Amino acid sequence: MYFAGVDIGSTMTKVVIMDEDEEVCSRIVGTTGAEHRRLANKVMEEALKQANLPFNEISYVVATGYGRVNVPFADRQITELSCHTKGVSALFPNVRIAIDIGGQDAKGMKIINGNLVDFVMNDKCAAGTGRFLEVISDALGIKVEDLGSISLRSTNKVKISSVCTIFAQQEVVSYLSEGTPLEDIVAGLHDAIAGRVVRMVKRLKIEPDVVLTGGGANNIGVVKAVRENIGCEVLVPEDPLLSGALGAAILGKETVLKALAKGEPVPKKERRLEEATFFT
Amino acid sequence: MSVVEGTKGLSRVKELYQDRPHRVKELKAEGRKVIGYLCIYPVLEMMTALDLVPYRLFGDMREPITKADACLPPMVCPFLRSSLDLALKDKYPFLDGMVLAHICDVGERMAHIWRTYKEYPYFYFMDVPHTVHKAALEMFKEEIKGFQKSLESFTGKELSSERLKQAIGVHNDQRTLVRELYDLRKPDPPLITGTEVLQVMVALASIPVEEGNDLLREVINEIKQREEKPQKQAVRLLVWGSIIDDVSLIETIENVGANVVMDDICVGTRSHWPKVELTPDPLDGIANRYLEGIKCPRTFREAALDQGGKNYMANLENRFGYLKDYIKGWNVNGVILQSVRYCDTHGYEVPAVRDYLKSLGLPSIYLEHDYSQSSLAPLKTRVQAFLEVLG
Repeated sequence: MYFAGVDIGSTMTKVVIMDEDEEVCSRIVGTTGAEHRRLANKVMEEALKQANLPFNEISYVVATGYGRVNVPFADRQITELSCHTKGVSALFPNVRIAIDIGGQDAKGMKIINGNLVDFVMNDKCAAGTGRFLEVISDALGIKVEDLGSISLRSTNKVKISSVCTIFAQQEVVSYLSEGTPLEDIVAGLHDAIAGRVVRMVKRLKIEPDVVLTGGGANNIGVVKAVRENIGCEVLVPEDPLLSGALGAAILGKETVLKALAKGEPVPKKERRLEEATFFT
Repeated sequence: MSVVEGTKGLSRVKELYQDRPHRVKELKAEGRKVIGYLCIYPVLEMMTALDLVPYRLFGDMREPITKADACLPPMVCPFLRSSLDLALKDKYPFLDGMVLAHICDVGERMAHIWRTYKEYPYFYFMDVPHTVHKAALEMFKEEIKGFQKSLESFTGKELSSERLKQAIGVHNDQRTLVRELYDLRKPDPPLITGTEVLQVMVALASIPVEEGNDLLREVINEIKQREEKPQKQAVRLLVWGSIIDDVSLIETIENVGANVVMDDICVGTRSHWPKVELTPDPLDGIANRYLEGIKCPRTFREAALDQGGKNYMANLENRFGYLKDYIKGWNVNGVILQSVRYCDTHGYEVPAVRDYLKSLGLPSIYLEHDYSQSSLAPLKTRVQAFLEVLG
């Protein structure tokens, strides 16, 4: 049996296909973007190709992420909070706090014995999310993926006093005009985003193990700043973008096994591998 | 949308929900005087007894706030901003008067601003104490006397104790009927959805009390007889917090897979649970009902020292003990705490309520929204995740 998890985030679409031993046979990351949002099926098709499987071989498909609604090829929708919890717990069984810094939201999850017990979320304001870094790297004229390595050269990071993306951008421009070295500005930005996220997650009472996922975890500068702001080790999975999709696939497997164990039919929908419609 | 003559029960509720002022406009045309009020502290019994029609003002979360921003800062209660916005946009041409009260600090300041911008033949501002000590009750009784005098001089009629007692009786009848309606939420699945109950509550705030009582009787009969029932869901929720006057939040919650079976909001139990005790001087019963009876966090009630006032848990019990009855009586297994953004009154209460619920072993989630339709969509993921946690 094979199980697929599809995580349609605001910025990236991720697909994981695994077999019943939770052996991952395909992992694909594609951009979601405004144009391609409904084309999540393309990413799914790519993943099937990589796994060399036809679609009907997949026993169960769980969709998650903010685009989880109305995915015609999914059997079930589960929130990203439950899926991240599952995925992160599979990789780090001792996790107590999982932090996900995504493209347009940031969330913190309190996990006890692999179960989600509480969570916090910022999904209305760009501050503290990947969007913040995208906007500001644009203002600085550098690529967002270069921010991490640039920030590591910093010796005297600046203080960004505003948590608002728009105002922070103005601050950045004024630092530039003062001749502040780029790396110090970038390090300051990482500190600002990390500070914002950590303050939010502190409501859950932070305790180790702490795991950081999402696009933010791909930025070494953000990881370092989160560590400094929390004051303890922060673990990062090998592929931080995939924990939601991974968790979705595992939850799909659990759904099927539970139904089989009870001798009940697997709760399924009629699936079509076609374009997704959003927010009907 | 117009109200079709002769519709009854839930259809009438839906019509009134869509077109709230419809009935009071008719009454106005018949020569009755309509008095607008905000919040649940203005004494309804006195207005009813003097043949006035009290009409509760709400905001409109589907209408962007444009005019109120010129006179209220954007970082105060969006519900009150919206309410004032509607007044500034002349949505209440049928009002003969207005009663505002010191409900919370923003409510108080806004009352004076309202009065500056909008003139009505009658205006009264009620001073409502924020504690329930004996002195506060005495002061509040004086305040109610002042309210009575001002109403008497506005109507040119004297309010007899007899007439007031009658009005108390009719309003208490409504409170009894609302409890009967809420009893229909006790079965699993409930016989009536949370969305429908809220629509009934909004309708009641839009018509005279006697008509409201007839409407309640019709609705209760209709619900008892109808065959279709709300779908049974895994979770039975209580919704706590600041005002909800639009069904969209409750609908969002019910659509992701829960039954909303109980509430602690002021378009619900808070406004209808407590009754006025018939005291020799009716003003005592009224003062007690409105100040002590209404359980809104705008009033602070600390346990007395001899009741363990210094003990946190004793204090929580004193402040939120009533929630235990709601939770047991309606078999609630999860609580959604919600508040409009910038509401100090509810915001400060949240950690304490959550502690109390935790002591009862009840999971809860806190949601903040800015009293607009668009702010509700992102809450869906949180509600759904909360239900998955309970799942």
